[in-house]
Order: sequence, then structure tokens, then C-alpha cells
Amino acid sequence: MLAMQLSAMPEMETPIRPGVAELSDDFEALVRLYRPKVFRFALASLRDPDAAETVTQDCFLRAHQARASFRRDCSLQTWLMRIALNLIRDHARSRRFQFWRRAYRVARPVEQAGHSIADRARSPEAQALLNERVASIWAAAERLPEKQRSVFLLRFVEDLDLLEIAAATGMKEGTVKTHLFRALRAVRERIGGTL
Amino acid sequence: MIAHLSTEQLSECILGQPSPLVSRHVQQCTVCREELANFQEALGSFRGAVRTWSQEEAHRALAVPAQGPQARSLMASRQLAWALLIAAVFVIASFVVPARNGKSEAQSDAVLLNQVDTQVSRTAPSSMEPLMKLVGQRP
Repeated sequence: MLAMQLSAMPEMETPIRPGVAELSDDFEALVRLYRPKVFRFALASLRDPDAAETVTQDCFLRAHQARASFRRDCSLQTWLMRIALNLIRDHARSRRFQFWRRAYRVARPVEQAGHSIADRARSPEAQALLNERVASIWAAAERLPEKQRSVFLLRFVEDLDLLEIAAATGMKEGTVKTHLFRALRAVRERIGGTL
Repeated sequence: MIAHLSTEQLSECILGQPSPLVSRHVQQCTVCREELANFQEALGSFRGAVRTWSQEEAHRALAVPAQGPQARSLMASRQLAWALLIAAVFVIASFVVPARNGKSEAQSDAVLLNQVDTQVSRTAPSSMEPLMKLVGQRP
């Protein structure tokens, strides 16, 4: 079922802004549409599939319980990401001492996943370099402070723009920008720019 | 004309908000253009890698419920077996323990009855036995 949800979900869907009534009526459709995104963000943040699944389920449970309070001041995606972000934060804090150990244990899949984006036009050397860079970004993201990491993942994994990130995180747009600049600096230092 | 782009200026480009000066420099400077392209490509690959991993994990999560019923039935049958075993132990114990208790009760009853018989068969109460002995010792 989830496979169908994944395949049915367009990667760049337009965020919808339904009314409360529509939200209540078709909550299942909302879950189908946004579940992969929420799971992906939770997975990238926590790096633990089980924890990401728990956060995703909690996120939609809370969204369902709070659907009457959705005020349409942001997109559904932003609203869900805000809920997910709080849950991820709580989860990471409650398991602070286990977090990085687990993160290290499951960090390999993304490093290996770099191979799955191989381009035939790219030489083996260039592909190896790219894989190395992906692994470095992954490692750099792991070491970012919590807010920078969230902002970085929302921007570069979830493709949210600055205003959407500001709405999801509750930060001002300028603060989001500052966090992104710092995150990009840390990432670039890690991957080693040539300039 | 700026020498080469700083990390902040590259970040501006990556966030899609370059100043006109930075934009112009990127157009003119091959080194910076290549650096920017490499950085963007790495970030794009990172996004692709995370998405691939996420999809794999989602599919893996799908595969687990597919094995669920079998696993659940196996677990249920094990639990049932344990429950039956425990029940059998209780049933056997319910027969064995009362029988042992019955034996011990019968034994204690027998001892008590023997004591009663001893008391009843006495010719005088136990408190008078010393006196009876004295009387009996007389010629």
C-alpha cells in the first residue's frame, strides 16, 4: 500500500491549502500524500528507521487530533513539518545518549546510496568523488547543531523555500537564512571546496 | 570585479538569491562557475541519496507487515503452547498437592487419635499420676 502511496506521490506537488472541513473529510488522502515526506524528513533527521516511523505515525495522529485548529495560515506540508519537527526534537532529546551511536550505525545507507545515483556520463573517478562528497555532506549534517541541521534538511532534502522553513520552524526568515549560511559553510568546509 | 566567490557568496547563489555583482561574476569566472556547479551537484546527489534511502526503508517497512501474519501466528502458537503447558502443570499440581496434603493430614489425625487413646486409656488423669505411683509403691 505504501509503495502505491510512494509511486503515486509526485515529488514536487503543489502544497494544498484545504479548509478544516476538507481536512477532516479526507484525512486519509492527506496521509497518503504527505506520509513519505514526513517519514523522509524524520529519517534524515534521526537516521533511525524505527524512530522515523514512530515520529511519522505520531505526527499524523497529532495532526488528526489538532485538525480543527489548522488555520490555513500555511500549507499543509508546512503545518505537518512543524509537528514533525517538534516530535523529532523531543525524540532526539529523550534519546540524546543513544542518538549519535545509532546515527553512526545507520549512516552507511546514505553513503552507499550515493552509488544508486550513478550517471553513465560520469567517469568512475568523478562518480567516486561525488560519492565521497555525498558521504561528507551526510557527515557534516550529522555534526550540525540541531536548528542548522533541521533548516538544512528542510531546504536541501525537502525543497522548502525560506518562508516555508520559517513557518515550519517558527523562526524569522532572516534567522533561517543565517542558519542556512552557517550550515552551508560547515558542509563546504567538510567536502573541501577548491576555492 | 571580485577575485573569487566566498562561501557566503556561493551560498547566496545556492539559495537562489545572488546579488547582481555575484551573478555577473559567476557568468564571467569559469572557476567559480565550476565550483558552484560542483557544490550544487553534491547537494543534489545528497538529496537523491536521502530520498533513495527513505524509499528503501519505506518499502522495507512494507515488507515487514507482509510477513506479519505468519510471524504472528507462529508467536500465537508458541504462546498457546506455553499457556497449555502451564495449565497442564497447574492441573497436575492441583491433583498432586491435595493428595500430599491429605496424606499429611491423615498422619497428623492418626497421631492425634493415638494421643487421645493414650489419654483415655489412662486410669487416672496425668496430674494424679505421681500420686498413683506413690500409692502403687506401697506394699
